[in-house]
Formats: sequence, C-alpha cells, structure tokens
Amino acid sequence: MAAPGIARPDPAPVAPLRLAFVGRPTASPQEAANWTPRQVMANNLRSVVGRAYPRVRGLTREPSWLLFQMLLPFLTTSSFVFVYRALDAPAAYIGFVVIGGAMTAFWLNVVWMMAAQLYWEKDQGNLELYFAAPMNVMSVLFGMAVGGLVMSSTRAVAILFIATVVYGVSFSISQWALLIAVFILTLAALYGFGMMLASLFVMWGREAFHLTQLMTEPVYFVSGLNFPVGRLGFIGALAIALIPLAVGLDAMRQLAFVSTGPTGTPAPWIESLILVVMTVFFIGLARWLLHSMEERARREGRLTVRWR
Amino acid sequence: MIDRGVLRSHRFDPARASGRGTIDVLRSFRTAASLGWKMEANWTDPVLFFIYSVAKPVASALILVFMLQVIAGPAGIALRPFVIVGSALWSFVVSGVAGLAWAVLDDRERYRMLKYIYVSPSSFITILLGRGIARLAVGAMGAGITLAVGVLVLGVPFDLVAVDWPLLGIVLVLGVITISALGVVMAAVCLQTRQESWDYPEVVVGALFLVVGAVFPLSVLPVPLQVLGLISPLTWWIAGVRLALFQGGPSSIGGPGSLWQQLSGELNPTSVQVAAALLLTGAVVTLVSAVLFRAGEARAKDRGLIDRTTGS
Repeated sequence: MAAPGIARPDPAPVAPLRLAFVGRPTASPQEAANWTPRQVMANNLRSVVGRAYPRVRGLTREPSWLLFQMLLPFLTTSSFVFVYRALDAPAAYIGFVVIGGAMTAFWLNVVWMMAAQLYWEKDQGNLELYFAAPMNVMSVLFGMAVGGLVMSSTRAVAILFIATVVYGVSFSISQWALLIAVFILTLAALYGFGMMLASLFVMWGREAFHLTQLMTEPVYFVSGLNFPVGRLGFIGALAIALIPLAVGLDAMRQLAFVSTGPTGTPAPWIESLILVVMTVFFIGLARWLLHSMEERARREGRLTVRWR
Repeated sequence: MIDRGVLRSHRFDPARASGRGTIDVLRSFRTAASLGWKMEANWTDPVLFFIYSVAKPVASALILVFMLQVIAGPAGIALRPFVIVGSALWSFVVSGVAGLAWAVLDDRERYRMLKYIYVSPSSFITILLGRGIARLAVGAMGAGITLAVGVLVLGVPFDLVAVDWPLLGIVLVLGVITISALGVVMAAVCLQTRQESWDYPEVVVGALFLVVGAVFPLSVLPVPLQVLGLISPLTWWIAGVRLALFQGGPSSIGGPGSLWQQLSGELNPTSVQVAAALLLTGAVVTLVSAVLFRAGEARAKDRGLIDRTTGS
C-alpha cells in the first residue's frame, strides 16, 4: 500500500517486444524460463544488434578514425600503384592494386576485429559474460561481423573511390550481377572465416595476437593482393582453394577487368561456387568449434584465464 | 616504547626520493626492455617464435619481388637488391614504430597496468622506450633474415668486402634513434585514442612508405611528394643503408629528372651528403617527437585517458 497522500507512480511504459521477455504471465518460474522459438529468435536478433552497436556507433565517437582508417590507407595503396608506374606496367595492374587495397580493409577487419576478438574479450573480462548470458554465442559473432562490415566498408569505399579518381582506373565490367554476387559472397566467406578463427582463439592466449600478425603480409602474398594470383602456380591454386581473400579477389579482378584476358585461374562462376562452399563450411565449422572449444575451455578452466 | 636509536637508524633519507639519476634511468630501461622481450618471445618455443618473426618481412619482400617478376620478367632481377633492401628495412621501421604504440595499448587496454606504471618513480618515456626496444630487436631480426633470403635464395649479389662499414654503422645508429622518435610520436597518439588504434602505427608507416623511396625511386613521384620525401629522415636512412651495402647501385633519391638533381645539380647524393641529411632531419624529428610526446602526455593526463579502457 502506498502511504496516504503519496501517489503511486505509473508503471514505466514497456515496449511490446520487451513484454515478450519480462511481461509474460506464467504459472511458474520453469514456464517463464521455457522460451518459445519466437522469443529465442528475437533474443538472438537483439544480441546481434547489441554486439554490432558499439562498432557502428563507435565510428562517430573516434574522429581520428577518419584520418587513420580512410586517408592514410589510401596512401599505402598508392605506394604499390607507384611501384607499377615505376615499372611502366599496363593500366589494369593499377586497378588490381586498387581492388586489392580496398579488400585489405575487410581482411584486416576480419583478422583484428573478428579472429582475435574473443581473445580480447577474454582479456577484458567480457567473455564469461557472453557465455553466461541467455543467448547463442553465435549471435555475438554475427553482431561482430555486421558491425565490422560497416566499419570496413567505409574504408574500402574510400580507397576504391579516391584511388579510382586520382589514378584514373577504368573498369571494364560485362557481368555486373555476377560481380556484385561475388563481392557479397566474398564478404560472407571472409566473415565466416573470421568467425571460425574467433571460435578457435577462445582457447588461446598471446599466440592469438601473434597469429593475427602472421595473417597479414604472408596471406597478402599467397592471395596475390597486388598481382594476379595465377602467377604463383601451385601456391596460388592452393590459396584459391583455401583462402576466401584469394578466390574473391581473383574473381572480382576477372570480372572488373575483362580486357586483361585469361589469368590461369578458374572462371568467375566457378570461383563464386567455391565462395559459396567456403561460406557454408566456415560458418558451420565456426558453430561446431565454438561449441567444442567452449566445452574444452570450461573443462580446462580457460574461459576466464586472462593475460596469459 | 619506541626505541629512539631504532628511529634514528631508520630516519628518512631525502636523497632516496631524489633517486640516483642515470643509474635509475638505466635500470628502468633494462627492466622494461627485459619485460618487453619476455612478452614478445616467451609465448611459444624459439623455433615457432623465429618463424612468426620472419614470415611477415619475408612475405612483404616476396610480394614486391613477384610484382617485379610479373611486369619486368627476367629484367626485373637487376632491381631485386633495390626492392629487397627497401622492403627489409621497412619491416624494421614498422616494428620499431609499432612497438612503442603497442606498449601503450597493451598496458592500458589489455593488462590495465599503465596507470600504475605512470605513477611509479620511473620515467614514463624511459619505460616506453625499453618496451619498444624488444620489438625493434624482433624487427631487426626479420630485416636481417629478409636480406639473407634475398642473397641466398633470390640471387641478390652481395660482397661483404665492398660494404662501406663506417657509413653503415653511422646510418644504422641514426636510423634507430629516428625510428624510436617516430614510435614515441605514435605512442603519444595512441594515448589519446581508443582500443581500435592497434593498427594505427602500421597505417601511418604504410603512408610514409609512399614518400621514402623504399621500393621505388622518388623521381616517379609528383614534386610535392618528392619534397616530403626529402625532408623525411627515413628516406635518407634507407638511401644510406642501400649506399653502404650496394655501392654503385641505383639511388632512391637521385636519378635523372629527380628533384634532388634539380636542386643540387648532381645525379646522386654522396655518402657524406646522405649521412649529413639523415643527421639533420633525424635531429629535427627527434626534437619534435619529444615536444609532441610531452604535449600528448599532458593532454592524456588532463582528460583522464591514462587509465581509460575501451571496447568495440
């Protein structure tokens, strides 16, 4: 009972979606804990949005990002453009470098902010919260991927646009639909790859950080970031079969610079099929790895071990 | 009862608070360097550590070698020494600059020790330099192995007797100081920024890569970029090492039509000119970096950034 003269405050308005979680009248705690599939889905979607939020929102909160993530990477790409200019290379090679420079934005994001992320979260003390929360941890990985995709898209677009204008890159595209499909599939495969590595790194300590270092220049080399991957022979073929960056880049270059002729690699439609297989495989593997690594980390007491 | 004799023997010695000057600085530096090395190296066995340390610089060099091969074919072999030396030295620059910045981010964001280090009696900059020296050592190892791979595997002609050792010694010492100064600037920047700035050092160094003539001569750049290159100490450092190791090879600074030729009337700079330019530009960068670091440190302290942690 409220004391005389003191008005009871009106209950705070509750959003309809929120009612599904806290306002549902149930007969017992057991029934309340037993969520419907719709509730589970809504909860996981909210987790995806919640995990993507800091990455998207963070873009507006760190002004230095504009300089360090948009302008300076363009200058790095320019270095390789000038290498080709110094060698009097055909104009299409400048385009190769520009596309490679744009795609490094996604690769770096996958390596730094997907693969190594759960390791950072462990060091920061967030990982145990993820596992203790009533959600599927895969939704955290999806949220990271969505947020990361937004972050790196801006950098990639900046490099592509500025470099195309400054260096006068002329694309010769005959199959727009396939090019767009390959681009989307490449991103899906890349972030699936990142999710798989993130699951793997749950178990790891500082070696995760050093492995991310190993996954930059060596991967750029075998993926043919600045030259046609077909020129690497067997190593290039292996990269096309295993690394989404390699196969995606090669397919996009074949589609964006039709005039360069045969590259010695599979046709773009075959490479797009490889990307589909990679996407399904990596995301499936990520799910399995996340589950098994969580089990193992729980048994070995590694989920909360920090600064190792 | 308090024994006055005991009190007298434990009397506070003001000299202890003022420290022992250089001895304390050296001890802080040694301890920080030792800690940095352990953090860099003790996460795995030595063989794996070695592989991880050299894979990145060797791969960087191979990217450029393949670009040469694809465009120039067999004619590109003549340019390999130029590209491999530049690429190897650049991996050293990346490690040196990133080491100090990562020390800030590691200690603030990951281990959350920066505030304790900051309030310790040791000089903050001394500890940062000590932490950074470990990564510089890893970078030096990577650069050395890349050069060795260039000579032994990629057929770069190299004659130990023909090396200009005095010039090499001078430019290496001046180069390490300059690279550390750039690292200090990046550390000051990372004191201000969020956790996502892990890749800022590499991005900044990647941008500098454009103007220093590491893998192509400055003469192919537009004149304003050539000016930037000529005032960068890294340009003179790379040119100096190249000149010391491969005398008579192509210069990254001079050459027909270069800004250097227009300004000096000579085709290529001499050893003395390179060393003097490195000394001058390096001194300016080092002084400016000290000022910037002090300003960055004061701003971080003022805004409470030294114990801030962020996530994304």
